[in-house]
Amino acid sequence: MDERCKALWEKLSAALKPQVSTDTFKRWFSAVELTKATEDSLTFRVPNNIYQFWIESNHMAALQSAIISAVGAPRTVRFLSSTESDNENNFGTPEVQKSDHSSSKTTGLGLGLNPRNTFESFVVGPNNQIAHAASLAVAQAPARTYNPLFVYGGVGLGKTHLMQAIGQYVWAKRKTSRVMYLSSELFINEFIDAIQHNTLVKFRKRYRQAGLLLIDDIQFLAGKERSQEEFFHTFNTLFDGHKQIVLSSDRPASEIANLEHRLVSRFEWGLTAELQPPDIETRLAILRKKARALQINLHDDVYQFLAVRIRSNVRRLEGALMRVASFASLSGKELTQETIEHLLKDILLEEWRQTVTIEQIQRKVAEHFDVRLADMTSKRRPASIAFPRQVAMYLARELTKASLNEIGDAFGGRDHGTVLHACKLVKKRMIEQDNIRQTISFIDSALQR
Amino acid sequence: MKFSATKEKILEGLQQVQNVVSTRTTLPILSNVLLQAKEGTVNLTTTDLDVGVRGGFEANVDKAGATTLPARRLFTIIRELPSSEISVEVDGKNAASIRSGQSFFKILGLPEEEFPPLPKFENAKVVTMRQKDLRDGLRKTAYAISTDETRYVLNGVLFSYKENKLTLVATDGRRLAMVDLELEFPRSHEADIIVPTKAVTELARLLTDDGDVKISVGTGQIAFDLNSTLLVSKLIEGNYPNYKQVIPSEAKERITLERETFLNSLRRVSLLASDKSNSIKLSFSKNNIEITANTPEVGEARESLPVVYKGRDFSIAFNPEFLMAPLRNLADDEIFFDLIDEMSPGVLKIQTPFLYVLMPMRVSA
Repeated sequence: MDERCKALWEKLSAALKPQVSTDTFKRWFSAVELTKATEDSLTFRVPNNIYQFWIESNHMAALQSAIISAVGAPRTVRFLSSTESDNENNFGTPEVQKSDHSSSKTTGLGLGLNPRNTFESFVVGPNNQIAHAASLAVAQAPARTYNPLFVYGGVGLGKTHLMQAIGQYVWAKRKTSRVMYLSSELFINEFIDAIQHNTLVKFRKRYRQAGLLLIDDIQFLAGKERSQEEFFHTFNTLFDGHKQIVLSSDRPASEIANLEHRLVSRFEWGLTAELQPPDIETRLAILRKKARALQINLHDDVYQFLAVRIRSNVRRLEGALMRVASFASLSGKELTQETIEHLLKDILLEEWRQTVTIEQIQRKVAEHFDVRLADMTSKRRPASIAFPRQVAMYLARELTKASLNEIGDAFGGRDHGTVLHACKLVKKRMIEQDNIRQTISFIDSALQR
Repeated sequence: MKFSATKEKILEGLQQVQNVVSTRTTLPILSNVLLQAKEGTVNLTTTDLDVGVRGGFEANVDKAGATTLPARRLFTIIRELPSSEISVEVDGKNAASIRSGQSFFKILGLPEEEFPPLPKFENAKVVTMRQKDLRDGLRKTAYAISTDETRYVLNGVLFSYKENKLTLVATDGRRLAMVDLELEFPRSHEADIIVPTKAVTELARLLTDDGDVKISVGTGQIAFDLNSTLLVSKLIEGNYPNYKQVIPSEAKERITLERETFLNSLRRVSLLASDKSNSIKLSFSKNNIEITANTPEVGEARESLPVVYKGRDFSIAFNPEFLMAPLRNLADDEIFFDLIDEMSPGVLKIQTPFLYVLMPMRVSA
């Protein structure tokens, strides 16, 4: 207690004493300490939570009027209780402490938090540095730094991991704060449930009293108007109450279709951090860390191979590692490149599909039909060039996620109609002529290697 | 599976377990009851993942087996059936055919495997006590449980095993109820656990006057074995507040009251205590208590009660509901009301170890 607080507390006590009985004052207020006094709030430290409960329930009016007479205006009153340590002194058999400790873990689980998802197990690379730093800052000082924190990024890049890490960090540090972690889908379901059973008040109370609200996959709120409205109010209440909010999404807030503007603007209010696919070094680091955690021991080449071949998604990377490791331990065979490739056939195929570029397709097709790569983008259109170009467009349409316009652009600034026509034409000819179908499936499989 | 039984037996069995059935629709299997038929009995189990109850009823089991059926629906059907003899047959697809007299019902269930198993208790600490004692103890405390979900450690009854005593405590921050029960157990069993409200309510319903209850405390969970029924529940995580802090050390005045007379007077007077100023005033003077309630623009009520009282004259106000709750749940004829002054908490006591601390309300001028 610094000098100023001490003086203020003396003034407060003097104003409080005539309002409560001597016994009450001795029992409840003699152990209270004023630790922080700001323009609009006073923070009191109490020995344990019974003080908070009892003063809040019974002596708040007296305390407030004492505050008014001491400082001239009402203040928000907060309590800090050092419950943990104190209760251990009171109920201090070692056994209780032990069961307490294990119980804290189960509650972490009860919150829906996976104990494996902590900051320690998160591999930081240039791709996720900002998101990680922001999350850590939020966890260390909820609602002080970035509020709300909005994390977005593709599938399996660690959004959930970061959010759960925040949740567990805060939960482990302050048992008293109410951490709520849930997906927006659960939020919507419970909201619907609440409407159905007419328990909206309970629902609101539940969410608006959270100390830290973590909502995963917020993009699912899109198009759900009433849920959005409900969430909007929850958001405002928490934000105004200086409670931390963390949201995650698979795309930036502004790109979530059918999300109300007032929500979008609020999501962008605090800090927005993007998670990008990890680079090769980070992927290697992730693999090694995971291997160590699972006590897997594999040759360096295997890690290298996996890191090079699987780029887009950390979850997939870990899945592949698990698969290879379990194969190695079950079969006891030496892992060669072929066995791994065979083992991970589907994953690699999927991976390749995502990483194949239009340029690769053009190159392969040009090579196959023996035309120049430049012909793919040129304006010339004799049949010997036009057809391979159409095949390339068709493959680009089938194998990449590029839009018709993007494909058109990649083929020398053609418009989307041209691309669409090419696709239709090739499809038609594939049905009519066997040899064309064979050619195309040959190029397709050549691209997959 | 196939069995037949009397309507009363089945209803009784279902009544024991059906309150637990989850009202949340997120997991459909939780609104079902698990039926397991074998050797003359059908076991019934329900759970909402926090609390689970297993009971059963006697039946002629023609074919053993298990399935799950929607609990509420099954209950309403059985209740409405006209004749006493009921036969139930479940096919391989978990569709149950219920026959009774001229009635036939077919309801669709879910496979047994989907039903979450009740937790196992290994290395649990077990104590046994009389059902009657536990039921009385819970009855004397449970009404004081807090319903404020932000104070989740208070949303249940504290079971404190210490020095061969089981202390039950419930509080909501304005009042506190506590009971001590004598109980023999080894020192290693000493612990403080919080049993959630739902489990307490169900337990109070299931406990009977006869027989023993076996209480097993495991990590984060508790089981109450009542021979024919079993209730398991998760425990509330966290530390229960140091309730001893609340109990006033000494009383200035002790008033002995007849419980029922006092309760009836309070009940009558409280009719004119409004929701807003929900308080009734007790004014003590020589050998008399005057109980008054006053609501502006509505009216007032007054009743006096002769008592033995020799202390100073003073008035104290309480929330009538909070004052009546323990009186309703106690069985004793005589209660003691300990008071200090108008701003200090009042304490209700009886001959046996029981304590109810109640904060007074501020009397406006």
